[in-house]
Amino acid sequence: MTAAPVIFVVDDDPSVRSSLKFLLSTVGLHAETFDSADSFLHKKPPDVPSCLVLDVRLPGLSGLDFQRELTARNIRIPIVFLTGHGDIPMSVRAMKAGAVEFLTKPFRDQDLLDAVRVALDRDRARREQETEVVDLKRRFDSLTSREQEVIALVVAGMLNKQIAAQLGTAESTVKVQRSRAMEKMHAASLAELIQMIEKVKAPSKKAS
Amino acid sequence: MAAETQTAKVSGEGLDLRNLIETIPALVVCVLRDGSVELANRAWQEYTGTSLQQLRGSGWQTTIHPDDVRRFVEEWNANLPTGKPLAAEARMRRADGQYHWFLIRKALAIPPNQGGDSSLRTLIACEDINERKQAEARLHQSETQLQAFFENSPSMIFLKDRGGRYLYTNREFKSVRRVTEEHINGKTDSELFPSEQASVFEASDRQVLQAGVAIEFEQVTVQKDGQHTSIVQKFPLFNADGEIYAIGGIVTDITERRREEAALRYTEESRRIVLETASDAVVSMDETGAIRFANPATMRIFGYDPTELIGKPLTVLMPEWIRKLHDAGFRRYQATGQRHLNWQGTELTALRKNGEEFPVEVSFGELTREGHKVFTGFIRDISVRKRAEEKLRVSERTLRELTETIPQMLWSAEADGAIDYCNKRVLDYTGLSAEQVQGAGWMKTVHKDDIDKMAAAWSAAVSSGEPFQHEFRCLRAADRAYRWCISRALPLRDQSAGIIKWFGTVVDLHDWKEAQQALQMTQAELARVSRLTTMGEFAASIAHEVNQPLTAVTNNGSACLRLLANRSLDPEVLRRALEEIVADGTRASAVVARIRAFIKKAPAEKSELDINEVIQEVLALAGHELHKNQVVVECQLTSTLPLVRADRVQLQQVLLNLIMNGIEAVTGATVQSRALSLESRVDESGSVLVAVSDSGTGFGPEADRLFTPFFTTKPNGMGMGLPISRSLIESHGGRLWAAANSPHGAVFSFTLPPAGEYSS
Repeated sequence: MTAAPVIFVVDDDPSVRSSLKFLLSTVGLHAETFDSADSFLHKKPPDVPSCLVLDVRLPGLSGLDFQRELTARNIRIPIVFLTGHGDIPMSVRAMKAGAVEFLTKPFRDQDLLDAVRVALDRDRARREQETEVVDLKRRFDSLTSREQEVIALVVAGMLNKQIAAQLGTAESTVKVQRSRAMEKMHAASLAELIQMIEKVKAPSKKAS
Repeated sequence: MAAETQTAKVSGEGLDLRNLIETIPALVVCVLRDGSVELANRAWQEYTGTSLQQLRGSGWQTTIHPDDVRRFVEEWNANLPTGKPLAAEARMRRADGQYHWFLIRKALAIPPNQGGDSSLRTLIACEDINERKQAEARLHQSETQLQAFFENSPSMIFLKDRGGRYLYTNREFKSVRRVTEEHINGKTDSELFPSEQASVFEASDRQVLQAGVAIEFEQVTVQKDGQHTSIVQKFPLFNADGEIYAIGGIVTDITERRREEAALRYTEESRRIVLETASDAVVSMDETGAIRFANPATMRIFGYDPTELIGKPLTVLMPEWIRKLHDAGFRRYQATGQRHLNWQGTELTALRKNGEEFPVEVSFGELTREGHKVFTGFIRDISVRKRAEEKLRVSERTLRELTETIPQMLWSAEADGAIDYCNKRVLDYTGLSAEQVQGAGWMKTVHKDDIDKMAAAWSAAVSSGEPFQHEFRCLRAADRAYRWCISRALPLRDQSAGIIKWFGTVVDLHDWKEAQQALQMTQAELARVSRLTTMGEFAASIAHEVNQPLTAVTNNGSACLRLLANRSLDPEVLRRALEEIVADGTRASAVVARIRAFIKKAPAEKSELDINEVIQEVLALAGHELHKNQVVVECQLTSTLPLVRADRVQLQQVLLNLIMNGIEAVTGATVQSRALSLESRVDESGSVLVAVSDSGTGFGPEADRLFTPFFTTKPNGMGMGLPISRSLIESHGGRLWAAANSPHGAVFSFTLPPAGEYSS
């Protein structure tokens, strides 16, 4: 989290690539450039806050297709789209798919830098969130299977008596398991526990 | 006889001898035994003009012609002692000195005992036989002549008696028959010649004897030198009683002549065959105008049998109205020798037997034979030819009427290019007369700016024989305005391909040309709109291409400004940035220029260009689109193509259109190979061919409608791309079409004629 962020620039035009890198360098941002989506995918990104500055029109996989592909691979890197000739349906699609910004070339330098900054912030937040989830998961994994079962039913809104009935144990046993699980999860309240479990159960297995 | 009687009387009566001899009406001398003259009567003395004294003794002999004396004296002396009668002929001199022939006869010997004198006396009577002698001489001469004639005759001449015995044969006969005079006289043919030959001769003899008339026949005999043909004439000779006593014969060997005759006959035969088989009727007439000969063709042409025409007047072969003319002309010719008709190939009207009149062509010939003129006409039936001519005339008239009424200007020219005919339309249009327009007169109507080019084009066509076509401004008489016209002409050639004539048309295309110009403007505008549409269709691509360098420029500029604001702008960094800015600016302007050229509103401007260059330019224009769609273009460009004469932008438009269509075809969902193939080559006809092939989905059911305006398969397409492309190519004299590619996909091809061909 303390490491310097990296901006990934993907554009088929070498002039555009180098000028972007130059522009970003003036605000102290490091950029890595790629001439196609494929070459970007072949590189393992560093574990630092990062964002993607991506031309919509690319040879081979287009920008929008590339965005879809990243999503499919669960790579949640914020994207700033650049386009030479953007139209409304295209930008709507991009934004819906989670783009940070959709800039039409040529753009004002500040607009780009702002968008990059937003993207990096968003990535940073995402990365923090992803760190919390990992922690919760570890805690969750430390629960016994019975404690996990109980917690799941608690989160689903069942009363202790109901849980005991379902699991075929005594209500008092459920109470003990429930309080032990709360303790292990560092949950101060039922509401907090529910949030935690939601984060754990969310379908994220990989962090960028 | 009378003298004899009288001498006998004298001697019988013993009368006075002197008185006696005076009474004898003849020249009488009395000669003694020794031959001397004793007495001569007065007639003698007077005749010979001599006296008795002169006659006495042997003096009388002086009166006998010296040539005859010796013979006479010998005869006399030999006869006297015999007492036999004597008759001798001799010429005696008359008183006037002329010699006459006399028959000198010993008339009477007077015995010696009678009278007082015992000597034997002989009375000699001399009879003037001069006339007889002369006749005899004449006869002899004639006989000699005849003899000579017979003997020297080249014909064999003979005479036989009734029994067939030869009485006379001439030299030729003996020579040919190889017999001698002694051998032949009194012999018959069967004694002289082989029996076969003899029986032939004798048979004809019998014929003459039986018929009693002359016969003539041909006879072939074999002689040493081969077969001979002779004409034999045999004839009877009659005696005073009208009985045949001999057969005369003349045999003329005609073998030589026969050869000549054969040759002559051959010539005549050939002539006859010519006349008989001639398709023309041949009719001869004599001086009276009567037909003397007609050949078989007369039957076919006139319907008359040649024999029925003989003797008829020639005028039967003429219609009534010509007969008088003929008669008058014929008479005039005979009188003056002046011809009023062309004797060679005159066209006349003739009359058939069935009354039908028909046209003939007649040639006359004249021949004088034995002082008489024979006129021969060779008559050809030309009704078929006439009909054909008439038909031709009608057809020609029809054509002329057609050329005069057809709503187009027509003209013709001699092989050398001189105008010899213009139809009425031309005259009406130009206001010139037929004479004024002749030759090079038509040039007056051509606009002065067009005259030189037009004259050059026309003389080039005339000298090369190439079809002529030229547009020029022609002065129209109606409104005194120059109007655009096009004249075209083709040469008419004879069998040896030499030019006989030129036939041409003139079309006023002023209105059409104006409409054409308007149409061209419309088309140009349409093409531009279509280009704009095409641009619209890949506007994103274009924008991208322009915006890329602009983006780089902006970024570099902004970065520099930021560094400048921070006072941390390294001059080296600045230099690099500025270099990039300049490069990108240049790049952007190039793109813009290319696009502007492509969409500009400019009239078609044709120049000679290399189609491969245009292909490369379009590939640059479409480069980004190809790159973006990952479409690979495989080029097979023939390097040595002929130049084409075309508008560069329009060709770019067509090619771009085809390439864009191709890109679309190969980027479909089901397409495996994203490849386009671009080919340029020369096709079979020598045109430049460009083909854009893809292996996409092909046309499917829309194939027929590809070139229909406003038909499109694209969501944003206008449906004008292919129709406009086609009309652009066609306006360059080329062709654009689509075909299926194998195994799938489509091929769009277009052709353009080489610059040389289209330059006109």
